[in-house]
Amino acid sequence: MSNSTAENGASSYSGTVVAVNAVIAVAVALGAVWVVNGFDVFYERLNRVSPTIEGGGIGTAFAQGNDIGWLVFIVEAIHAIDVLMGLFILVMVFVHWGAFRRLAGRMRQPGESRAMPDGGSPAQGAGADGGDTGAENGGDTR
Amino acid sequence: MTNLDHGKFTRMTTVFHSLLAMDVFFLFFTGYAIMFNDELWWMLTLMGGSGSVAALHRVFGVGLLALITFWALMMVTTDTGRSNFSEVMPTPDDAKAFVQDIQFVLGNAEERHPNARQFAGGTADEIPLLSYVGKGVIFIFAVELALLSISGLLIWSKTGLMQYFATQTAAIAFVVFHGLLGVIMLMGVMFHIFEHGFHPAFFPVETKAFIPRSMIPEHHEDGDEGTGIERLQLSSSWASASNLAGAATVIGIVSVLTASIYDTGYPVSLELLVGGGPTNLLLTVGVNIGMLVLFFGMVLSVYGNLVRMRWEQQMAEEEADGAEAEAAD
Repeated sequence: MSNSTAENGASSYSGTVVAVNAVIAVAVALGAVWVVNGFDVFYERLNRVSPTIEGGGIGTAFAQGNDIGWLVFIVEAIHAIDVLMGLFILVMVFVHWGAFRRLAGRMRQPGESRAMPDGGSPAQGAGADGGDTGAENGGDTR
Repeated sequence: MTNLDHGKFTRMTTVFHSLLAMDVFFLFFTGYAIMFNDELWWMLTLMGGSGSVAALHRVFGVGLLALITFWALMMVTTDTGRSNFSEVMPTPDDAKAFVQDIQFVLGNAEERHPNARQFAGGTADEIPLLSYVGKGVIFIFAVELALLSISGLLIWSKTGLMQYFATQTAAIAFVVFHGLLGVIMLMGVMFHIFEHGFHPAFFPVETKAFIPRSMIPEHHEDGDEGTGIERLQLSSSWASASNLAGAATVIGIVSVLTASIYDTGYPVSLELLVGGGPTNLLLTVGVNIGMLVLFFGMVLSVYGNLVRMRWEQQMAEEEADGAEAEAAD
């Protein structure tokens, strides 16, 4: 049964701590949203600093485009990071796909009989089955 | 030898993982229905239009804030959490494991490195708590979720942002940043679904993410050499299912990456060109395949919990039977 495993290496967390932390976490989340909601202003109360297109007042951005240098930079930087991470993640997908195919080749294939007795060595089992797993262990699918 | 392959983490961690997964899936579906509205117009409509989708996204956003705050607190306030910091730190072995994984695929290595092995089998004693991919996932997701939360809170009130930056496009630039940041996570989650759903020994899902270690009995068998994967029988649907899912994952990743490049200025681009990308049938199909992969991940997460519930039931029944037998004696 489940005895003797829980405290072995991976100890568990106490229920009280989980409950207290959960309550704090919900309070922090709601508090954060409450704070940012406080930033909200009615749009007519926004100060129109330099209300010309050249001055970059509110509403002129549509005519001017986005020209705050560091904002343009972070958007372009995140594009570059997206592409780099995307390529890396694709490499990881292909590496795992390949590794999985190789591991699958080592397993008993679907429909193969369960001839191997419990405790019998895998090699004997494979031999009794017709012995094609030896080849699969070596040069297998990839 | 232990049964690490079936249960590895504490109940707190497995429950947290399921809740985080659900919340993030819904954040993806609502968020990318907005950002990729060209390709996912049906999803936007299905969830009640842009107003409703934005409201839902905020609800799940609050959920995410609560979840990551909770996790950070657990890691700092408990001994178990603090002791796990060392388990998460990358080691030189993790770099070796990555190189060896490539060698393994190329046929130049006989085994995956212990730091890469998802199926431990008879070698459980050599396997660290987290594989090199697991550590990478924790690091990347921690940075991502922190930045997504901060940028998400910043764009919570658009007029509030405009107060500080004085232009609407500045506020929108933060929205674009938020959406583009999520793309890394979107691609990463697709890989995560493939990695843990299609390992031949675990297909269709690794229960260790869902069944807590405390529920797994420990076996000690000596005399095993290697993982013993050759004793397991491959599922008959694995080959076709893994090829289909692998292809869908690759198409999904490439498509959302491409779509994100087009959607740079949504909804106000640098060049004053309103709207997302071109109306491209191929991209539309690709992005939708990506969403299908995510939906499949959500189904797998539910299935993992279903397996845990059945396992719990079976354990309870066995315990009851054992007690009855004892009483009969």
